[in-house]
Amino acid sequence: MESIVFGIGITALTGALATVAGAAEDTESNIGSQGDPNSQVQLAPQMGYLHRIFNKAVAGEPPAYGLWCALGAGLAWAFMAMQINAVLAIVLGCVLAVFVQGVYATTAYVGRTASLKKFGQPVYVDILKSMTTVTMAHAFVAIFCTVTLCYLMNAALGHPFPLPLLGLLWGIALGAAGSAVGNPYYGKERQYQNQKFGAGVPIAQSGNIVRYAEAGERNSLDNGFFTAKLGGPASGVCFGLIVFLELWRTVIFERISAGWGAIIVGILIILIFTVIDRYIEVWARKTYGPYAAPVKEASS
Amino acid sequence: MTAVAAKPAAGGAMNPTAMAIGLVLMLVIIGACWKIAPGLGLMALIGMIIGGVLIGFGTHFVPVGGAPAAMGQAPGIATGVPMLAAGAGLAGLFGGAWAAEQGLVVAFVTGAVGGGLMMAITCMMVSFIYVFGMGIPAASGKVKVDPITGDTQPEFKSQGTEGHGLPFTSFVGGVIGGLLAGGGGTLIYLMLLDLYKATLPGMMNATESQIMPIAISAAGIFAVGMFLVNAVLTAYNITGTIEGPHDPKFKRWPRAVVASAVASALCGFVAILIVVM
Amino acid sequence: MTVKIEVVAGGIPHTKIMVAGLLASLVCLYLSYLNVVTKTEMFSFFGGLAVVAALLWGSHTIKVLCSYGIGTGVPSAGMIAFGSGVMGMLLATKFGIAAPIVALVLAAIIGLIIGYLSNDVLNMKIPTMVKSLTELAIVGAFTLMGFAVLMTGSFTFANLMSGSVTFLGQVMPSFQVSFIGGSLIATAFMLGAIAIQHPFNACLGPGWTQDRMLILTAECGFLSMIVAAFMSFALITSGSALISLIVALVGWGYTYSEYMKLGKRDAAAWLDSKPIPDVEEH
Repeated sequence: MESIVFGIGITALTGALATVAGAAEDTESNIGSQGDPNSQVQLAPQMGYLHRIFNKAVAGEPPAYGLWCALGAGLAWAFMAMQINAVLAIVLGCVLAVFVQGVYATTAYVGRTASLKKFGQPVYVDILKSMTTVTMAHAFVAIFCTVTLCYLMNAALGHPFPLPLLGLLWGIALGAAGSAVGNPYYGKERQYQNQKFGAGVPIAQSGNIVRYAEAGERNSLDNGFFTAKLGGPASGVCFGLIVFLELWRTVIFERISAGWGAIIVGILIILIFTVIDRYIEVWARKTYGPYAAPVKEASS
Repeated sequence: MTAVAAKPAAGGAMNPTAMAIGLVLMLVIIGACWKIAPGLGLMALIGMIIGGVLIGFGTHFVPVGGAPAAMGQAPGIATGVPMLAAGAGLAGLFGGAWAAEQGLVVAFVTGAVGGGLMMAITCMMVSFIYVFGMGIPAASGKVKVDPITGDTQPEFKSQGTEGHGLPFTSFVGGVIGGLLAGGGGTLIYLMLLDLYKATLPGMMNATESQIMPIAISAAGIFAVGMFLVNAVLTAYNITGTIEGPHDPKFKRWPRAVVASAVASALCGFVAILIVVM
Repeated sequence: MTVKIEVVAGGIPHTKIMVAGLLASLVCLYLSYLNVVTKTEMFSFFGGLAVVAALLWGSHTIKVLCSYGIGTGVPSAGMIAFGSGVMGMLLATKFGIAAPIVALVLAAIIGLIIGYLSNDVLNMKIPTMVKSLTELAIVGAFTLMGFAVLMTGSFTFANLMSGSVTFLGQVMPSFQVSFIGGSLIATAFMLGAIAIQHPFNACLGPGWTQDRMLILTAECGFLSMIVAAFMSFALITSGSALISLIVALVGWGYTYSEYMKLGKRDAAAWLDSKPIPDVEEH
């Protein structure tokens, strides 16, 4: 019984850490315009819209976070093997991982922008200095939380995988969750604030991103400021739910009928989310209504 | 995922000769494995081929819209196919590896449910952000009527786009994809783990508990590597984006299944050779 | 929606880069054998240099392959390279001193078959697909082997599997504290997979220049080497790890400043706190 109570405590802690990690990850990638919305930042100068937005195309978010978290975890593992205290080892590992992230961010911005010479897009040194440091700060929060939750899974809950492999797995999952949920909110809602609300961006408008702010010219910190209010927390909830429910169903129900308990609970959770998703979809169809009158088909 | 999404080079056509050559190649590899490592090795190889095929087939179900999805210009999840499938499959692998000592069937199903759970939560949150964050209802661009719910789609498509959000069929496709990918990745891991647990102690002159870290670690990294190979091959097959099981591109799955089977047989055979040679 | 990728001709031909990268990484891997000859671990840094050489070749291969537009992101090419390379590399380590050559052959076979599958079974019909995936698998195997040498000082199976741990002043053999047992290979996998695709991903566009991309590759290689050297402190003697770290830091500092210079050369303008320039009609 005691071990289950301990397990529930650790599960709750990892869920909370995952939520923070997801929120920080999405904000970081939005400030850096990483992931899919990057294509618009890249496209804008080619359409004649020069801008002052950071363009940090290291890789897609999942592989990039796979590296940062595997690196943080690998370094933390190595420091722990050198008999350094676990907390200090994780912090040191994450600091070095964030250093790598910062260097990749600068080379990506300079490289992408220099290749746009034909369209007259300049490299802004002040963007490089101010945005990189902010993304590094957010990345540190995300990496530190992820590596810590991996450490808890390994050391406290007894997962067989070593720390670096767990970092790789959960880093990719973190990037996948963060990019899936956070990208549309940044890509459609923030980059294209000049377009109609409640509709997709017409393909003809691609590249016409918003480049001016309430006062002056928009930079990526304004974008992080905006998406941190909904896209970031939503990504955090997504990743937090994934980690929490995955651990919760295992820790509590694993012992029931030799593992089948956890499976049945997992299937039930999937069904619950299916119902919620269907409810959201129908709610949207009813409340927002169609864009055009339904096309009458001959058969109906 | 990145700015690169140039013209789709691959068509929808099948190439029967190449597929036959691929299958013959797979049989040759299985034959070689039967010659070198009958019994446990052969069983592991067949398990890994099944796992690889599950990953390759499952990835077709995952609704991914790529860069246009982030602008609400195309339906699906706004990220890359291989990496989203990897996210789901590796979350499944995490659960499956944890349940490894409870037997093959339980661990396999646990891994599958882990992958499905990850996709269910992600797809639900994607719908949430589209509807409550951006006020956009879901609409498919490829079909007129959602095959599962019967909802009509075209009138919910906003002007100048190919659809947006996740219609219910895409959601179900995502969950099925997660289930298959999670199960497939776990199966590869379990097969390698069993093989390494049985053979490594003799090779390294150590007890089973001593070599466990190596067996787990090597099986884990091979599972990740084979997972990525299969997921990327499938992504090549569907040229980066797919709406779900109702998308016409879904009909290309036989090609990816053959490719995944051969690639898994090859990689699995090499992974087996490490311990039997 | 799509960013057009133009195939930029000129510069050093690909064949030349391929041969140079292949030879340089092979030679560097074999130079690390000095560790065994001299019974030290001082020459582990040659593993890192092998990584840089292999990556230089690999990033140019990715450029050749991705110029055709493969339908999915550039990063996926790095993933498939390392996914197929890791198998060949680990099997090759069982062959003792022949390991690098065996890794070359094995990875080439795996890459060839995967390339055939993509090109013909999946009907991608990209002229360089088979050749490129073969090269990428070899690069993946060499890079992983280089990281293994850098972190453990050796490319033999036994040394990758077992390490030693100092507990209460006593040195005890341990399978857990090792390149494979601690899954440092997972970190090496991702380090290489990002470093190989980043240079082309970061430099693509109409203003792509070969020298800038290649110096960025070297920078990514040395950067990966810095962190790998930190990890090697756990597995080899501190002095040897320190040598690797210093080599990596010097190489990184030089290539990073060179890259920034080339970025400045190629950029339309290099501005500090300036507004968006006025151009044409917008």
